[in-house]
Amino acid sequence: MTRRILVAAVVLQLALILPVEIFPAESRDLVAGAQKEGRLVVYSSTDTASAEPLLQDFKSLYPSIQVEYSDLNTTEIYNRFVAEAAAGSGTADLLWSSAMDLQLQLVNNGNGQPYASPEIAQLPKWAVWQNQAYGTTLEPVTMTYNKRLLPQDAVPSSHADFTRLLNEKASVFKDKVATFDPEKSGVGFLLVTQDLKVSPAFWDLAKALGGVEVKVYTSTGAMLERVSSGEHTIAYNIIGSYGLLRQKKDPAIGLVFPKDYMLAFSRIAFIPKGARHPNAGKLFLDYLLSKRGQELMANKSLIYSIRDDVAGEATAANLTKQLGKALKPIEVGPDLLTALDKTKRLDFLKRWQEALKR
Amino acid sequence: MKLSILRPLVALGAILAVFAPLGLLLYQSLLSAPFFDPAARASFEAYRYILAQPDFHRAFGSSFLISLGMTLIAAPLGSLLGFLIARTDLPGRHWLEPWILVPVFLSPVVMAFGYVVAVGPVGFFSLWAKSLFGFVPWKLYSFAGLIAIAGLTHVPHVFLYVSAALRGIDPAVEEAARVTGAGPWRIAFTISLPLVWPAILFSGALVFLLGFELFGLPLVLGDPAGLLVLTTYLYKLTNLLGVPSYQLMAVVAIAIVAITFPLVYLQRRLLGASSRYAVIGGKGRAFRPLPLGALRWPMTAWVVLWLLAVVALPLAGVALRSVVRSWGEGVVLLDVLTLDHFRSLWQYPNLVRGIVNTLLIGGLGGAAAVAAYTLLALSAHRLPGLWPALLDYLVLVPRALPGLIVGLAFFWLFLFFKPIAPLRSTLFSLWIAYTVVWLAYGIKLITATLMQVKPELEEAARVIGASPLLVYRDVTVPLIRFGLVGSWLLIFMMFVREYSTGVYLLGPGTEVIGSLIVSLWGTGALDLISALSVIEVLIVGLALFTALRLGVKLDA
Repeated sequence: MTRRILVAAVVLQLALILPVEIFPAESRDLVAGAQKEGRLVVYSSTDTASAEPLLQDFKSLYPSIQVEYSDLNTTEIYNRFVAEAAAGSGTADLLWSSAMDLQLQLVNNGNGQPYASPEIAQLPKWAVWQNQAYGTTLEPVTMTYNKRLLPQDAVPSSHADFTRLLNEKASVFKDKVATFDPEKSGVGFLLVTQDLKVSPAFWDLAKALGGVEVKVYTSTGAMLERVSSGEHTIAYNIIGSYGLLRQKKDPAIGLVFPKDYMLAFSRIAFIPKGARHPNAGKLFLDYLLSKRGQELMANKSLIYSIRDDVAGEATAANLTKQLGKALKPIEVGPDLLTALDKTKRLDFLKRWQEALKR
Repeated sequence: MKLSILRPLVALGAILAVFAPLGLLLYQSLLSAPFFDPAARASFEAYRYILAQPDFHRAFGSSFLISLGMTLIAAPLGSLLGFLIARTDLPGRHWLEPWILVPVFLSPVVMAFGYVVAVGPVGFFSLWAKSLFGFVPWKLYSFAGLIAIAGLTHVPHVFLYVSAALRGIDPAVEEAARVTGAGPWRIAFTISLPLVWPAILFSGALVFLLGFELFGLPLVLGDPAGLLVLTTYLYKLTNLLGVPSYQLMAVVAIAIVAITFPLVYLQRRLLGASSRYAVIGGKGRAFRPLPLGALRWPMTAWVVLWLLAVVALPLAGVALRSVVRSWGEGVVLLDVLTLDHFRSLWQYPNLVRGIVNTLLIGGLGGAAAVAAYTLLALSAHRLPGLWPALLDYLVLVPRALPGLIVGLAFFWLFLFFKPIAPLRSTLFSLWIAYTVVWLAYGIKLITATLMQVKPELEEAARVIGASPLLVYRDVTVPLIRFGLVGSWLLIFMMFVREYSTGVYLLGPGTEVIGSLIVSLWGTGALDLISALSVIEVLIVGLALFTALRLGVKLDA
């Protein structure tokens, strides 16, 4: 008991000292401005469960700022923002979404405001676009399976393995496989279009998924629930961060980091032009990119810090060490926009439907 | 204020509240782009696009088949149930009766989610069946599964109308048949049910109509397998093109209304026709229930079994999921028990606000809605002329509009109509949408209550010189106050249960449990969903208990 108190005291001590050290670069004006605004509105696709440690910590740093955090799905964020921007009714102070392509499209269409974060120097070059769109994390895109249902020796270790497994044991895996619905989920669309970019064999995989009558969902959470319950045996294109978090609660969850290639995406944050509390938005962006925020991401939120100088369980550095060249980060840049072109998008979805025999 | 001023004001308010959203939908459907887009121009492009989509046709076909299927299940079962409860000596019919209406007050999303945990592929009940038979004898995520659940959960709607109509039949007719030697089945099928044929037809049309408005059940049970109905297709259109396609959503909304409106009109005609059946007399007679004989207990067992399937099973599923960390094949439930989900609810300010807002919109909002419905009903109370007839049809319009669509239209209105824009992120926007969605129900409740006031009482007050407003204030309204409290409780439950109307209006400040569940369903946070569902069911249960204790008739 005394030991616990001691630890708590040390943690408290650290918490008291840290703020001073953490934001050496933070300008006083910005902090004062944000505190004067007194409010921060975030539209985000990061599950509240993962975001909560960050929000709590931010609130402890700036108790005078009230935080409104809306956990929406990626396309909801996009739609809501576009409607609000068009109505000119004012909107969120920070958009933080894993649908990198949709985020970039918004910024590209002039909806963002430039802000040079003091943390820029600590980020990879490819993670910042025009000082507007910031990649904040680097998260593995995994396969997730139920350890009770899939014996260790049957677990696929690569995309090719997975395709082969589904084709060879189609009757066993019928109705037992889940993946994102690219028609309904922005991030789901991003992942399959990136798959196609990296791997020419993607359509074989899609056909194999169709062969086992894959079930499609709008979120990782929904898929994890059903893998955890055993309704599905394995799920494809699972956001590894949520898988890791779920694993803490349910040891039956297993994660595969595919060896042939593994996509890694980054939650993009930007500050909209119509932000009602722009200073608070900037302050929160800086916090997300700061060492303090990233350390929480690596150890508590488990959404994989993007900075190199952060130690912990979920870090970009760890992923690079494990996968080396096979790690394929999706870069923050206009390349993301090609798949969004309306005709290309519909063509892709049509082909996807055909592969799934829907 | 004079009644002559008040009445047109009330009328105008009601007309605006009903037609503004519908008008906006129609207008949007005729544009080539979202109505706020400067590039939008008048065209039928959106109609052409939607009508060419195979998905739209499939969704339409599924909606039609589901409506048909659930009507074929609910109409016979509901009629039979009505006969058993209203006319026979079914054991336990008095304590069974309030339970029969419980499914009406449960949120379909909550029920669907409960079914997943109970009888889904790895649900606890399915696993039990699997241990018995070696396989699971049913398939929840199938067309048949969806139809069966939709049909069974809509039995109360038929029961409501058929039992009420049966109670109006002169028992002498049935007794005459019994004396001449007819058994209970013969009486049911050749005397009682044919006499209430209009009520059966009416409630059948109602269930058919509700089939087109189903949202929660197909969202949860049909989506993963790619089974689309019109409402879920509309929901999907939010995202399909990667850009907001309001014009396409409006077209689908109009398509739904084009089907539901004639159905509502048909219902209205059927209701008119039913009063022409003259055997239904008003005289109270000593009523002797028909003896069921040997069928007594099997029939009770059947009713109890049905209740278990539509109330106990899904609620047990929800309750179970709310206290475990994980579930399913190979999980020992005792190892995973936890109360963490309820505890963690308090860490999410938006969820806490959602619970508070739900109570507010049910309590205060419900009271305000009852006040609005009362004003509206009074404005046409015992009045000859155009307005009462018009009101009669006016309340039918929202009946044809699914909550999802009303919510969407109000979201647009509050977004772009500047004078009311600041109200968008307040509960007011939600309140007005809810009030419009439940307009027909509310007016029916109030009118039924008003009819209990004998005209003599109001006339007496008039004779001694009271103005019409004074009569309402001092005579009519005080006389119906118990009925108003009952209406408020019923509206409270409907508002708490409501989930689809708030989907598009959901934002900081307008969170309610129902729409939070739909939104969280998208993100897959089932720990939270299950805890929220339990809380919602508890709130509704408490209101239901109070209503029953107060003697409020649920079938108003």
